[in-house]
Amino acid sequence: MVISVSHLKKYYKVQQKDPGLFGSLSSLFSRKYQTVEAVNDISFEIDEGELVGFIGPNGAGKTTTLKCLSGLLYPTNGRVSVMGFTPYERKNVYLKQISLVMGQKNQLWWDLPAVETFLLNKEIYEIPDDQYENTLKELTELLDVEKLFKTPVRKLSLGERMKMELIAALIHAPKVLFLDEPTIGLDVVMQKHMRDFIKEYNERHKSTILLTSHYMEDVRQLARRVIIIDQGKLLYDGTLTQLVKKFAKYKVLSIILESYIPPDALGEIGELVAYDFPRAVIRVPRSASNVAAAQLLQKFPVDDLNIEEPDIEDVIRDVFSRL
Amino acid sequence: MKLAIQIIKNTWEEYMMYRLSFVLWRVRSVMQLVVTYFLWWAIFSQHTELFGYTQSMMLTYILLGAIVRPLVMGTRTQEVGGMINDGSLSNYLIRPMNIFRFFFSRDIGDKTLNILFAVVEIALLLFFLRPPIFLQANGLILFFTAVSLLIGMMIFFYFSLLLSFLGFWSPDVWAPRFLSFVLAEFFTGILFPLDILPAPLFLLSKLLPFSYFIYFPLKVYLGQLQMSSILIGIFVGFLWIGGMKFLASLFWKKGLRVYAAEGR
Repeated sequence: MVISVSHLKKYYKVQQKDPGLFGSLSSLFSRKYQTVEAVNDISFEIDEGELVGFIGPNGAGKTTTLKCLSGLLYPTNGRVSVMGFTPYERKNVYLKQISLVMGQKNQLWWDLPAVETFLLNKEIYEIPDDQYENTLKELTELLDVEKLFKTPVRKLSLGERMKMELIAALIHAPKVLFLDEPTIGLDVVMQKHMRDFIKEYNERHKSTILLTSHYMEDVRQLARRVIIIDQGKLLYDGTLTQLVKKFAKYKVLSIILESYIPPDALGEIGELVAYDFPRAVIRVPRSASNVAAAQLLQKFPVDDLNIEEPDIEDVIRDVFSRL
Repeated sequence: MKLAIQIIKNTWEEYMMYRLSFVLWRVRSVMQLVVTYFLWWAIFSQHTELFGYTQSMMLTYILLGAIVRPLVMGTRTQEVGGMINDGSLSNYLIRPMNIFRFFFSRDIGDKTLNILFAVVEIALLLFFLRPPIFLQANGLILFFTAVSLLIGMMIFFYFSLLLSFLGFWSPDVWAPRFLSFVLAEFFTGILFPLDILPAPLFLLSKLLPFSYFIYFPLKVYLGQLQMSSILIGIFVGFLWIGGMKFLASLFWKKGLRVYAAEGR
């Protein structure tokens, strides 16, 4: 196993200030602090080559966990081990084998062309010339960015910059990769590019990847396994299909009608979610889906019927809002 | 070594990107130098010797001060405070590198570029003003000058880092840095040699490390110190390096424990 987290806790002390000038003045003399339990007793393990989706609403503790794993933060409590190293000791042998990409942060030298950062990283990670050339070539081809090498980073578009960030983060061929919202702010086409790239990279290099994202599509496309956390607590750890079975208490019947039926009549079968004749979507309790389907076919002139799992996004929204 | 060269190169290129800003910075330095220079030139037009300095000694002190200043006090470590507070320090922490070495290399980039310009500027001043300049020919003295410059550089480096590390505990380090540098600058001896100060102030300056930034190396160069004073000064300088380095490392270690990698 590559990553092992056991009973990880990370608390922050955060200053509180009353609104307004008076609040500011009084905070000059006495400061109030509140302890925020960003991560509160989380445990999980990840095997080599796994690509795991790490999801949760804003402020759930995803980024804090990633920061603990990459050695940026000292855990308040608990044990973290990656490839047998304790991350916060920040040993060079450890740091040489990992990488952290934050979609909202810039790691490149802002005023210089991205290639200068690549060259700097080459020296930092002590990458031999031929290996550097090969990796750079491979990554540039995968991401199709060669013509941007000489443009100063601040002149790049967000999508172009993200690609460069990935190259800078992967140039030393890390064994473990922490991706914190790599697709944030990108358009749908660019998101797909990124996803394809991450997938390809994971398969090619057998690297272990822990990925956070707010876009369910990222998770659905990339990760077989997901870990869900909220308010610093672990809610779920398992496959996406299991997640749906466990948390989705209903199934979705989508039908095509031959002739118009009033919505009230359809509503007797289950919750009518959408109705745009001839299409109708009905949500029914999971255990009763077969009965409901049979009823539909018996009672109404149905042309076509499908029993579907609910959308993953709906399931997850359900999980979050149930708390 | 290759890493250091790459860092220096990047630092230079960064400056080149902001040409105007850099040129204006140099103009400021020249103005500062010219003002101090003419002040002392005017003062000496009435006297042949003052405070134990001849005109040529004093003008040499002021002109060389303009080269020593970027050499010793040229730095990029002021960025570190901001990096701690906006979280970009993380970029360096997740890489297998020593942050002290990284910034020292960056400082060398800063120093070399600024000195290059300072030398050209002073050559121009020498050409147009033709001031009487004192040239030190004694090899041993020149050697000790170099050693004391190195000491000044190291003390300054750790001192500046130390102030920036305050960022671990305070959301902004601009104020403490600014105040410290105003105070420190007075005691570096950039405006005038410290030994023309009243005795109590001069004594105070000797208890502070700042005289190593400008005053001490220049005094050594001018040959105005006894060999014993030079050796004692160098010895004490090394103690200051040790002390500052210890404090900076301590602050760094303690700081990382509370570092929150903020910004999100």
